Amino acid sequence: MQAQARSRFLKNKAAVAGTAIVFALVAFASIGPALVSHDPLESDFVRGISADGAPVGPNAVFLLGTDRLFRDVLARLAYAGRLSLLICICATAIATGIGALVGIVAGWNEGGRARVPWPILAGLCAAGAALAAGRPRLAALGLVAGVAAAGARRFGGPRLDIDGWLMRSVDVLLAFPFLLLVMAIGAALDRSSAVTIFVTLGVTSWLGIARVLRAKTMQVRSLEYIVAARALGQSTMAILFSHVLPNVAGPLFVSATILAGQMIVADAVLSYLGVGIAPPTPTWGRMLFEGQDLYVGAPWLVAAPGVAILLAVWGFSMLGEGLRDALDPHQA
Amino acid sequence: MRSIRTKPEAFAWAAALLAGGAIGCREQLATPIPAGHEPGASPRRGGTLHLAWLQDIRNLDPAGPSDGYALQAMHLLFAGLVDFDDQGRPVPELADHWDIADGGRTYRFTLRTGVRMHDGDELTADDVKRSAERALHPTTPDPNASYFKNIEGYDAFAAGRADHLTGIGVEGRYVLSFRLAEPDATFLPVLAMPTLRPVCKTAGDRYLDTWLPCGAGPFKLRPGDWQRGTRLRLVRHDEYFRPGRPYLDAVEWTCNMQVTAQRFRFEDGQLDILRDMTQADQLRFAADPRWKDLGSMETDRTVLGESMNTRMPPFDNIEVRRAVAAAIDRNHYKAIKPGYITVLTQLVPPGVPGFDPEVEGQRHDYRAALDHMRKAGYPYDPESGRGGWPETIVYPVYDQGLLVYTAQVLKQDLAKIGLRIELKLVSWPAFLALQQRPGGVAISQANWEMDYPDPSSLFDPLFTTESIGSESSFNTAFYTNARFDDLVARARREGNPDHRRALYREANDILCDEAPWAFAYAYHFYDVRQPYVRGFKPHAVWPMDVSAVWLDRAGGASNSPAGSGR
Repeated sequence: MQAQARSRFLKNKAAVAGTAIVFALVAFASIGPALVSHDPLESDFVRGISADGAPVGPNAVFLLGTDRLFRDVLARLAYAGRLSLLICICATAIATGIGALVGIVAGWNEGGRARVPWPILAGLCAAGAALAAGRPRLAALGLVAGVAAAGARRFGGPRLDIDGWLMRSVDVLLAFPFLLLVMAIGAALDRSSAVTIFVTLGVTSWLGIARVLRAKTMQVRSLEYIVAARALGQSTMAILFSHVLPNVAGPLFVSATILAGQMIVADAVLSYLGVGIAPPTPTWGRMLFEGQDLYVGAPWLVAAPGVAILLAVWGFSMLGEGLRDALDPHQA
Repeated sequence: MRSIRTKPEAFAWAAALLAGGAIGCREQLATPIPAGHEPGASPRRGGTLHLAWLQDIRNLDPAGPSDGYALQAMHLLFAGLVDFDDQGRPVPELADHWDIADGGRTYRFTLRTGVRMHDGDELTADDVKRSAERALHPTTPDPNASYFKNIEGYDAFAAGRADHLTGIGVEGRYVLSFRLAEPDATFLPVLAMPTLRPVCKTAGDRYLDTWLPCGAGPFKLRPGDWQRGTRLRLVRHDEYFRPGRPYLDAVEWTCNMQVTAQRFRFEDGQLDILRDMTQADQLRFAADPRWKDLGSMETDRTVLGESMNTRMPPFDNIEVRRAVAAAIDRNHYKAIKPGYITVLTQLVPPGVPGFDPEVEGQRHDYRAALDHMRKAGYPYDPESGRGGWPETIVYPVYDQGLLVYTAQVLKQDLAKIGLRIELKLVSWPAFLALQQRPGGVAISQANWEMDYPDPSSLFDPLFTTESIGSESSFNTAFYTNARFDDLVARARREGNPDHRRALYREANDILCDEAPWAFAYAYHFYDVRQPYVRGFKPHAVWPMDVSAVWLDRAGGASNSPAGSGR
């Protein structure tokens, strides 16, 4: 970060508070499970249950009380935080990667027709079909064959309006309700692992980033130093990596930070709706779901995960907006 | 362009709302709404009883597939030849009396005279036979039809080879007989189920799901009074055969009402009896001195257990099954929902005919469980966590109700003996498909709601070889034992209660020892009513039996003394 940008960021109290919240959550999720003596998956039918059979409230033994299966809420909150943050970061990384690739390629090719690596695309399609049919070796073979064919006949075949195709695809995908799409993919996959959750969230959340990056790339590609690099005969890939990517990194980072907050909410919603990770593995959304019908007598069951979700979203949002204000003061 | 910003104030407000919502929730119960008269007052007629259901109902035709909620209304709409008294014993209803002849193979019923159906027609023996043939016809989707296969001529009729059921004979306008292929001690309770209850002539000879339900029960359904998914209203059948009954003008249910909404409406007097409630609310009502005498436990009708597929490893090993039965601490299950769960150590729950206090049953014994694992060839060392069954066992759960919580407790209990299960969330249809197919799943939680209060209602469908199917097997453990099959078949035919009890005791011992199920718990509902709801008490068979209820709300002008001519 440049010195001016850093200075602007540090003067922004909300941004500093957001950063502190995110760091605190990461620390809580990282070392919290090690500090809490209770097992998040183990019920305590002796100390965790009150005289009238209900979960005990916050006390010296269970700082945030116990849940409906008499497990320590604090231990589960920390363990769930680790999982939620892992899902959030991985899903954001995937979405950012796909969004950046699509956005930069579309923005760079806007207004023209470009050569397309048809053999690679054909190989990808064949690999996808083979994977769907449960033939992973055949899929790998198809992919290798496609790459090899592309190497032998570089970018042959008809030219394509890549920007048009990519952006219309984005439009089509945006037309689907996000959660419906995620739930449909989740139901089709084995939805019981963290990997499938973050992959599902990642591959469905890149659309906004692609649009932002396309606009920024179109702006950057017409700058004089890019024109100069092209005139000097630098390859497209080199220009994209050396000149375009560093100049769109600011908006990309800002978008990714804001998206991270949205991923926290999406993960919580999926867990709440019962399409997340299978119990007893705790997630904040699942904890919220499990506590909802006891909230009258045991408000800590919804308050603890609710506050955690609130803080995470709040922290990432303020951090993202602070970064935007610092990196791009004209936009702010 | 102005950017959209996240305002810190918005989050502060959200946090305040969350905290305020949690703190400000209504924990204290409202004061009960008093009755107008002292206890012991004579019943008064009039008024509408308001009730609610958590879900919608599927069907009100006694010949069609039903559910627990619909049964509440069906019992009020249709009267049977035989009914259950509040202890679950068969008693005459539309029948004036019956005789049993031919060593228990013929049941001859003499009907009450002058019984009027909801359409005004008089009930005759022909109506009973027509209703029975309609219910048992091969085109009728009646899930209970197989209960009547002992009636002579059933096989030919059910296969479509005969036009009439020869085993049912009309012997006069008010007399008819049922001839059975072999003696059956369960015939009367089976007949008391809704399936064969007489229906009006408007029902025709064949099942039709557009028919407006019409029978001879104390309440009737008028056109337009059943709005699916919204409400059901039954009004008094003024020509009901019991003089002066029912007391209520109408009973009205609101469908799809969430538990919290039900509680608040009940406290405000908009609902008169509350049945669907959270565990926390149940504990609150049961503990509150103002309310606890107004609450009542229903009978344990549903039994639940961990069903182990005896054809799949590791549960094809009897010692592993015994280990599971000993490893489960059933009190842990009870702790999850104490107001609704009765610990079960044998198949039949306490308080239900067939429960045998002399059967020791399956008990929690951790050391014994470890010993069974050792005998099975999978010794487990609790100190090091080494040993046990080497593979992870998939345990399917559908994400609704109690199962998802008991499954997590089971996972903890089984991990302590070296059986590692992984919970897999599936939909309800997928759960059934897995559980009811021979190679579908190694272990799952099975449940069964008794159709009638008799041990045969549990032993026969759940564990006999005959109940094993290739697709929809009720015997989810795929358990086969020739001795057990013989015992329950003989018990079904046995008329002597003492001999019958002895046969079931031996069958019970076999089940507890060979453990196709680790019996876990029985489930019952808890009802709480307002003080002005009179004449209500739990019935051994019928959920929420309100046929004798009357309303006595203080200041209520709609009620009048019973028999006053209203």
